[in-house]
Amino acid sequence: MRSETDQKPTRRSFLDLLLGVSVVAWLGSVLYPVFRYLKPLPQSGPVGPTRLTATELTKLEKDGFVIVPFSGKRVLVVQNAAHQLLALDAKCTHEGCTVQYLAGESVIWCACHNARFDLDGRVLSGPPPRPLPRYTAERQEDGGVVIVGERTSA
Amino acid sequence: MYYQPGEATAYESMRYLTTKVPFGWLMRSVHCWSAHLMIISLVAHMFSTMMLKAYRPPRELTWVTGYIMFALTLGFGFSGYLLPWNKLAFFATSVGTDLVKSVPVAGDWLLHVLRGGPDVTANTLYRFFALHVVILPLLFVGLIGIHLLFVQRQGMAPPIGQKVAPRGMKFFPSFALRDLLLWLFCFMILLVLAVFLPYGPGIPGMEWELGEKANPLEPAFPGIKPEWYFLWEYQLLKEFPPHLLGLEGPQLCLLVVTLLLGIWAIIPWLDRQAARNEPSPSFSDFGWGAIVFLTFLTLKAWDIGGLQPVDSPASIKVISRTCAWWTLGLGAVIVAVRWVVYKHRWFIFTGAALLHVALHGLLGLSYLTAGAIAGLLAVIAVVTRVLAARRVKATVGASP
Repeated sequence: MRSETDQKPTRRSFLDLLLGVSVVAWLGSVLYPVFRYLKPLPQSGPVGPTRLTATELTKLEKDGFVIVPFSGKRVLVVQNAAHQLLALDAKCTHEGCTVQYLAGESVIWCACHNARFDLDGRVLSGPPPRPLPRYTAERQEDGGVVIVGERTSA
Repeated sequence: MYYQPGEATAYESMRYLTTKVPFGWLMRSVHCWSAHLMIISLVAHMFSTMMLKAYRPPRELTWVTGYIMFALTLGFGFSGYLLPWNKLAFFATSVGTDLVKSVPVAGDWLLHVLRGGPDVTANTLYRFFALHVVILPLLFVGLIGIHLLFVQRQGMAPPIGQKVAPRGMKFFPSFALRDLLLWLFCFMILLVLAVFLPYGPGIPGMEWELGEKANPLEPAFPGIKPEWYFLWEYQLLKEFPPHLLGLEGPQLCLLVVTLLLGIWAIIPWLDRQAARNEPSPSFSDFGWGAIVFLTFLTLKAWDIGGLQPVDSPASIKVISRTCAWWTLGLGAVIVAVRWVVYKHRWFIFTGAALLHVALHGLLGLSYLTAGAIAGLLAVIAVVTRVLAARRVKATVGASP
């Protein structure tokens, strides 16, 4: 059984507390800069609507798809059999490989773990846990293609 | 000497090294072959330590330092893989680093720290170069010092049930000369392989043609595979469905792999029989079960027996069946040799691993369903066996 005097704060227990707090604070002051140093700053780059270059347009016509940089991401622009334009995130939601359009099957395929998505980005087969985010791509009057932005709803 | 990390220089300097620098191709070939042979040697060393129970007290920390060094060696392989900045390197690193995002709480931070940003870029190349040539070697040198110090202080582990064998010969010159001879023999094998197979043996996951330069705006190419020692994990990732037990497939896969590797790390503390210097057949069998488990996944990742197109459902079924037959054949040989030569009588884990393979490959159950059934049966068998052993012990203890 503990006596009453054991439960009272003593000079020693106060000093122990002070020491513990100091050690934690010291460790924090040493480790925080290291953790902060290791994580890089976000990269700034062009954001907003992006127009496909002439080379990218030629690739789109030739292969039926092209992958372009857009606001720090990679976007897959597809021209389907009906010549409709579709744009989706090119990063597979499974393990981050870059997907491609298979014109013959009219699906989006990731070669890394054999995942298939439909042209709306929904998972058809394979292990990806989420659909591919969709973007809006528009054909301009002069024949150019512009990626406008990410679609917020399906 | 010649390598220059950077988006515009890494691939170019590697191409210069292999095509222009005198014997540059040989140096690269020796480097690549050494890396693969080192991993093969470590796998053999780890499994022999496991089977001989050399990890038992007082050598638990020798096992742990070896375990960490094996992980560091895989880290060497993984970080070195990106440095040529070719297509294969880019996607292998994208997938390998993406897996860390499944780590709870710190996943996003870890991903950014590893890649130097949200994606694999030149920043990743700088970080991996630093890892490969500075951070990992420093850690490795420290650990190998500790590992050797333990071996030197504690000596070699004697076989179970035997006393420490007396030292048979002087270190210098007898042992040193023998060691030198073995070293020369291994070096000659390395040179022959490096000269006659400069781009590897041509097995998927064990070849190092420079290929094309990485381009983040190109899709992953068909048939892309990681190095052979990561194939089992690559295949396991494919076997998990999108969602299961309230988690995403990759998260659950990472959890299962972490649990299995965690068990492997603490084996010296789990194996109480070996700690008492008694045979521990269950742990030998656990090692053999692990070999069967890894073999089946690796064979499957190699698409053995696959039809064209290799990724079609019909082809995947044939691959599963073919690999199951190969693994069952190997398993039968292992069990027969252990039964006849080593008089082993404990086969629950190997049996469960083989049952898993048969249920999946021959009966067509999904990999995880087959694994759950085999795992459950193994647990029931182990519990029954432990209870029976306790009953026998109690009866023996009670009898006069």
